[in-house]
Amino acid sequence: MSVLQRSSERPFGGFHLGAYLKNVDWLLFFVTMALAGFGLAMIYSASYQDSNIARPTAYVDAQLVGLVLGFLGMVVLSLFDFAWLTSWRRYLYGFTIALLLVTLVIGEERMGARRWIALSFIDLQSSELAKLLIIASFGAFLAEGVELRGRFRFVLQATAYVGVPAALVFVQPDLGTSLVFLVIYFTMLLVWGARWSHLAVVVGTLLAAVVAVLRVLPATFDVHLLKPYQIERLMVFVDPQLDAGDAGYQLAQSKIAVASGMVTGKGFMEGTQTHLNFLPAHHTDFIFSVVGEELGFVGAALLLGLYLLLLWRAFRIAAESKNLYGSLLAAGVIGVLLFQVFVNVGMTIGIMPITGLPLPFISFGSSSLVTFLLASGLLQSVHIHSRVALYGGRVKGEPYGQLAT
Amino acid sequence: MYLEPTRKQRSPSDDPSLGMRLGILAVVVLLAFSVLGFRLWFLQMISGDQYTVMADNNRLRTVTIEAPRGVVYDRGGPDEGSALVENRAGLSVGILPMDLRNEEQVVPRLASILEVPEDELWQKIETAKEDPYVVTVLKEDVSEDDVVAYLEEHRVEFPGVRIEKAYLRDYPRDAFGTHLLGYVGEISEEELQGEKFRPLKAGAKVGKDGIEHTYDNFLRGVDGTSTVEVDSAGRPKREVSMSPPLPGKNLWLTIDSSLQDAAERGIAEGIELAQSQGFAGADAGVVVALDPRSGEVLAMASYPDYPLSLWVGGMGDQEYATLTAEDSNNPLFDRALKGLYPAASTFKPFVALAALENDVITPDTVFTDPGFYQIGQQRWKCWEEDGHGEVNLVEAIMESCDTYFYNVGHKFYKREGPVMQDFVRQFGFGSPTGIDLPDEYFGRVPDKDWKKEKGKTAEDKAWKPGDDVNLSIGQGDLLTTPLQLATGFAAIANASTEDANGRVKLNLLVPRLALKVTDNAGNVEHEVETEKRAEIEVDADDLRAVKRGLELVTSEVGGTARAAFEGFPVAVAGKTGTAEKKPEDDYAWFMGYAPADQPEILVVALIEEGGHGSSVAAPVVRRVLERYFQQEPSVLKQLEVSE
Repeated sequence: MSVLQRSSERPFGGFHLGAYLKNVDWLLFFVTMALAGFGLAMIYSASYQDSNIARPTAYVDAQLVGLVLGFLGMVVLSLFDFAWLTSWRRYLYGFTIALLLVTLVIGEERMGARRWIALSFIDLQSSELAKLLIIASFGAFLAEGVELRGRFRFVLQATAYVGVPAALVFVQPDLGTSLVFLVIYFTMLLVWGARWSHLAVVVGTLLAAVVAVLRVLPATFDVHLLKPYQIERLMVFVDPQLDAGDAGYQLAQSKIAVASGMVTGKGFMEGTQTHLNFLPAHHTDFIFSVVGEELGFVGAALLLGLYLLLLWRAFRIAAESKNLYGSLLAAGVIGVLLFQVFVNVGMTIGIMPITGLPLPFISFGSSSLVTFLLASGLLQSVHIHSRVALYGGRVKGEPYGQLAT
Repeated sequence: MYLEPTRKQRSPSDDPSLGMRLGILAVVVLLAFSVLGFRLWFLQMISGDQYTVMADNNRLRTVTIEAPRGVVYDRGGPDEGSALVENRAGLSVGILPMDLRNEEQVVPRLASILEVPEDELWQKIETAKEDPYVVTVLKEDVSEDDVVAYLEEHRVEFPGVRIEKAYLRDYPRDAFGTHLLGYVGEISEEELQGEKFRPLKAGAKVGKDGIEHTYDNFLRGVDGTSTVEVDSAGRPKREVSMSPPLPGKNLWLTIDSSLQDAAERGIAEGIELAQSQGFAGADAGVVVALDPRSGEVLAMASYPDYPLSLWVGGMGDQEYATLTAEDSNNPLFDRALKGLYPAASTFKPFVALAALENDVITPDTVFTDPGFYQIGQQRWKCWEEDGHGEVNLVEAIMESCDTYFYNVGHKFYKREGPVMQDFVRQFGFGSPTGIDLPDEYFGRVPDKDWKKEKGKTAEDKAWKPGDDVNLSIGQGDLLTTPLQLATGFAAIANASTEDANGRVKLNLLVPRLALKVTDNAGNVEHEVETEKRAEIEVDADDLRAVKRGLELVTSEVGGTARAAFEGFPVAVAGKTGTAEKKPEDDYAWFMGYAPADQPEILVVALIEEGGHGSSVAAPVVRRVLERYFQQEPSVLKQLEVSE
């Protein structure tokens, strides 16, 4: 492993715990843990009366497994110098593609979609992990190509680089997560320093593609890339009066739940929309509605405040990274967080269409929780290892910025 | 070992615009969060109240808990009254409009299952939608085995359709006291506008007729409500609040079930008797039995009748059509207080008193009956074609001599003003008796003014001697209800003791069906008292003469009802009547009270197109009196026809 050799003769021998602890972004850490704790509490409230589970804490227990795993992963990631990842780029990318392909082949099919790989201790939703893996490898890809910024051809390569895994997720089918890949791609391209003209072309192409998928292809060529339910959700969003069955019902009930929470909410575990089952998927996609209903505007604002704190730390870390790669990693995480929070919360309050995107750290689902805890660990790694060289003295003066080249 | 800070080692060429690009991203973040924050503020802070209402409408269902109506008892014997109207538990199908979906499919299917016309169902559902969070009953008393079982089994296909428990009226003896009891039904549009049922809303059940209507405010309870929290599947989770229903009060009637039974059987027997005497058209009749001392109605029957249970759950169109068909002879119609008939000879005692009090005759006045009375070219025949010869007043009543009364009538014609009419009106003829039942008819006592107003031609408008002659035997334009006749006759039976001037007072009482109202614990809440409508002062000797005549009707040879009461151990005073209603057969009347010296009971019977009072109506009255005085029913034989 060349990275290890280059970093230190004794990779872990020179580790300084005191320096590590001193340079941990504790605010980031506590905000992360606060979000995870918030999530556990809301999952408990939303699910303890669920008649489908044996124990009131069944969902919480499952989520705790994810929390422990994710916590360990987060700590381990923060110990590693993120810069080492650049040399693993091809393995990471190869692994991501393989994982998504395997999912399509041997994945568990639930509700018409193959998204899960059943492991003994956890049901892995591979696309969740893939988000982070793509951030890591795509960041390295961009950092390596920093000299090619002016070339549109490189932008096309970058598009294909993310397009392949995005397409694999899309066919699962998982429209929401494949859009997350697009956001990762766009955010990182922006922060990487792509030319504005190139970005404009990318955005223009995207808009054209949306029109094509929704209107031109079905109408002209009878090609249906979206499932009927996906179109229904979009249509209901555009015109809620359609009240097309489930989607309209979900939207209406979610808005009632959030709005009836008013200023301080109906009280923890007291939400009527939640506990009387008017609110669908209340421990997963619509958990924000539970927050809004039970904790009111105060609770919702508190949660959004925690996200803002997290994002603020991510921006700070992006700006202070010792190299471009670190900035790109942070940017990718910012993109995912921003998109998922906005789309998920927006969906519960009727300003975004219904997609199955989980609310980071909060929604039930260990894969998502583990992924975001790892993302927090990655940010932590960029933070710590941009401030201090923890492993021996050999790294002194090494031009990290060029490491990627 | 030392640690080297690693900051600021980046080459500026790597990221010439990193800060700016992160800044753009930060602006996007802030914009996105502002949008979320603003939207949350708008929803939760500004519109929170209206969404709270929606959340409550989601979870709260207010259910009406029906209050059972009071039970109706008869007057009761020494032990307990027997119930005439009770309640039973039944099931009804209702609709909760807020849960109704796919109306276009659901409603037609529901209509065929409930066997109601589709447009009627649509109309009910449209009305129900005015209160979408409340269950409105669509059909009561549905069958548990067919309708309910089917709807339960297919409940997902009938969103919003609810099965509810309901109290339904139950009649231990169906088709018994039909008209006086009346029935219960859904409040009508007209009734909603009126005063009587003021705070009630559409869909409420109220008394529609009979004592159910009159005493509705006692019988009807106050419905309770229960607010229940339900889950998204409509399953009740817990009761949030509840106000208990207040059951209706129990009503005790003056009706004696045993007498009512005798009355109803009596009519049937009377009709049979009439038909056996060749009056094939006899198909309807009335019996009214009063206690003349109090005005309490002991029995009141109108035939044909029908089972009241037909109304329970709403009467079907077909059943209603059967009841109102031409050949059904109008069973819905209460002949006792709405049937208008010529009083015929039963009117004679009243005319006799009028003549005596106005000095048209004295008790000793004698007229000769050659079998007719003649004024100019016009002749009025006595029913006895050979004539009664010389008759005095007592004999005239006993034998029902028409000619005697023609004389009296003609004498009244010569008087100034409607003297006879004004006198008989004091007994309640021509005006409602005031009984505690709805829509009683007035009847008519014709006089000069009436004829002037109603007549079409000059000939019609003129009051002629014949009008008074006809009126004196209760014919012509006179119309009375059986109840009016009974009430008026009761005044004759119910005289006060003679005063120092030899005068007595006849008490005209308001007949009534209600005895008392009790609550569920049996406490008397309200006692109905006898009401006196009028006092008619007459000479004691005059009254004695009339009563003497009435007594002889049933007891003396030549008395028109002697045969009918032969062997009856209690002295009965009465009068037969045979009303002419051309082109139909004659209507048979009898009215009588007993014991003749101290009347306890008074019975009036009428058989439409039954022929003669003496041979058809008098036996019916005897049947009721036999029951009252606990006599074995006599064997009916073909009676000699008189009058």
